[in-house]
Amino acid sequence: MAKHEGYDAVIVGSGAGGGMAAWVLASKGLQVLMLEAGRDYNPYEETPMFSAPRDAPLRGTGTTDKPFGYYNASVDGGWQVPGEPYTSAPGSEFMWWRSRMLGGRTNHWARNSFRMGPYDFKPRTRDGLGVDWPIEYDDIAPYYDKTEAIVGVYGRNDGLENHPDSAPGVLHKPPAPRVGELLIQAGCHDLDIPCVPARRAVLTRPIGDRSACFYATSCGRGCSIGAAFQSTTSLLPMALATGNLTIVTDAMVYEVSLNSDGNADSVNYVDKKTGTHEAASGRTIILAASAGETARILLNSKSKYFPDGAGNSSGQVGRNLMDTVGAGMSAQFPMLENRPSYNEDGARGLHLYIPFWLYKEQARGELDFPRGYHYELGASGRSEPGMGLGGIANFAGSYGKTLKEDMRRYYGSFLSFTCRGEMIPNANSYCEIDPDTKDQWGIPTLRFHYKWSEHELKMVEHFQETTREIIDRLGGILRSGDVSPEDAISKGGQIIHEVGTARMGNDPDSSVTNQYGQCWEISNLFIADGSVFSTKSHKNPTLTIMALAWRNSDYLAEQLKSKAL
Amino acid sequence: MKTILDSPIHVDRRTTIKWLAATMVAANTACSTNAKFLGEEIPPVNDAGGNLLGVAAKSNGVGYGTDPDLMNPVVPWSRTMTRPQLETTSALCDFILPEDDRSPAASAVGVPDFIDEWISAPYERQQNDRGEILAGLEWLEQQSWNRFGHGFPSADDQQATELIDSMASSDPAATEQSDLVTFFNRFRYLAVGAYYTTEEGIEDIGYIGNVPIAGDYPGPSDAAMAHLSGVLEKLNLTMPD
Repeated sequence: MAKHEGYDAVIVGSGAGGGMAAWVLASKGLQVLMLEAGRDYNPYEETPMFSAPRDAPLRGTGTTDKPFGYYNASVDGGWQVPGEPYTSAPGSEFMWWRSRMLGGRTNHWARNSFRMGPYDFKPRTRDGLGVDWPIEYDDIAPYYDKTEAIVGVYGRNDGLENHPDSAPGVLHKPPAPRVGELLIQAGCHDLDIPCVPARRAVLTRPIGDRSACFYATSCGRGCSIGAAFQSTTSLLPMALATGNLTIVTDAMVYEVSLNSDGNADSVNYVDKKTGTHEAASGRTIILAASAGETARILLNSKSKYFPDGAGNSSGQVGRNLMDTVGAGMSAQFPMLENRPSYNEDGARGLHLYIPFWLYKEQARGELDFPRGYHYELGASGRSEPGMGLGGIANFAGSYGKTLKEDMRRYYGSFLSFTCRGEMIPNANSYCEIDPDTKDQWGIPTLRFHYKWSEHELKMVEHFQETTREIIDRLGGILRSGDVSPEDAISKGGQIIHEVGTARMGNDPDSSVTNQYGQCWEISNLFIADGSVFSTKSHKNPTLTIMALAWRNSDYLAEQLKSKAL
Repeated sequence: MKTILDSPIHVDRRTTIKWLAATMVAANTACSTNAKFLGEEIPPVNDAGGNLLGVAAKSNGVGYGTDPDLMNPVVPWSRTMTRPQLETTSALCDFILPEDDRSPAASAVGVPDFIDEWISAPYERQQNDRGEILAGLEWLEQQSWNRFGHGFPSADDQQATELIDSMASSDPAATEQSDLVTFFNRFRYLAVGAYYTTEEGIEDIGYIGNVPIAGDYPGPSDAAMAHLSGVLEKLNLTMPD
């Protein structure tokens, strides 16, 4: 008998997708159980707001224990999780970031929140590559509006091609651009490249108990005033307030168990505190454990109905693994030396960015790469000093009183340019169960295969050429070296946007779920995380994960109400 | 070897080499640092430093783990530098970041101790730096004895400049860097990071953020905008709306 039973929905995972599903279903009066593999986490008490780098070990710099720095809001997390290995197949090097805490990776993410556009949902129709989604932009547009309203997103409607506007009144006012951003924007205007307010899930006006941003302390540490969105300061407290959500932490789910009809009956998990194996049953099961973990659970759920894993008759579970194409360049700008000091923190993230601007050229076949990318701009040059300042020291190459003068002179004269591009799913990029490796509880682990194609490398080359043009126009000196696209491109998983491992579609033979994240073959098993992405787009996935989770949850609730499930 | 530090005897370079070689053989230590040392014939030293500055203690290897208390940070590992290593570190720190009319010397704000904290940490990156830093400090000390007849902490400005100039690269883009250039750049990186994260260093460099602002973020100051206008004018660009 299951330890937990009688729920309308059992949700696995408490991040963006799980948090949204829990809130939507709980607010409709359904009884929801949430299982989180990590520990309980209280951002109101555990966020080191304002703590100085000098008060942390090694000035807070990243280590193998805390890769994004001592103060980063990742618990038992990072590229490796103790006792929970993963492997990369020969010739592949995949990086998988996990966080074992309530709220998962929403506690530390960059909060960049760009909508996918009409082209992004029908890419195959546009260029013949990859697949189309089973939905179009208009199907999800209302959910983007609702999600942005709940989450709180700053930005501006600019009416740009394939970058949809939000409904009036939804977006929060974006923060004023800083010097580096204005400089880049001026250069971009001259080069006919758009540079507009970015969209981030950071409040600039209060919502309920959540305060507006006060423009201090890094968002990556989490935000105890609730300005920077994370599941643990908004969706989960809201869902708990309905009285309809129960959360169990330290519950490492490893399997979906089916009943004699072939429907999902329960999930099995390890209670990490006691090491005992438990079960939780419900009328529906929703996997929102992340693209990697969800695929792992499905693949490990072998039964007489599904010898290759639950809902995997199509063979698509684990396939179509995609991450964002990443690359970065930086430059020093002599004209920014010795500039006047002012508080350049801003919202501690993007104020302006460069959206993709070459759709027409691409459609006419004038580019040698098929999909888009955007720029994230590192323009807060006079940011809080950390160990990275040493980059200026070695740039100066001096010592003594000259070095101290050089530090004052060069501080704030560097700007960085980051590529975030769309990867097209390919047959060489997927995850599977590693036959030889198990985690500390004996659960088989994932093995990743990953390979970029020419499409992505050509895109990076274009980014490099364009960035050189921008840097030249602004009188800058490239500092990041002359690097080939092969060396410049990120490793798979490194951008932490992994999606696609249980894609939605119109055809059960080539997809795992329908347009509502409902498994084709197990009607009461749903997926509400990045696994269901049919394609990636160059937009950061979290906002879309939440909008889809909301849409899936509406459908699930209707199905429960109509007794279809 | 400690007697060398205690007595002001002159040790010539050939003697130092002989001693070092003898120490290496006697200790049967692996040479983890394949030092090029700008063509000098001094053999590599072992990764604990060794010899003139003594051998650094073994780190207790305790990291802070994957779920440390973020609200009450502590450094759980022990420091490992010998007193002579710390003294040479301190002297080098202060030649890199001396006192001037705006801010104190590096040693006055705890930078040497931070470098000890860094090279004693049990993490891979810090452990890699450890061998490099300790070997470089040892080289400095040997060179100081060879050239001037006293340890590096007693070097005057001219002597220190001579030694540092033989390490510091004036061409940051140089790809063929010797181990000494790598050592000096790495040491400077650590000293600068430590220094400009102190209250005094932050004030010196002019970082004025991390304070809460009520209402909208105000954007650049008038002075900052005036400067930017000048930059855009030189670049023949228009200030965005």
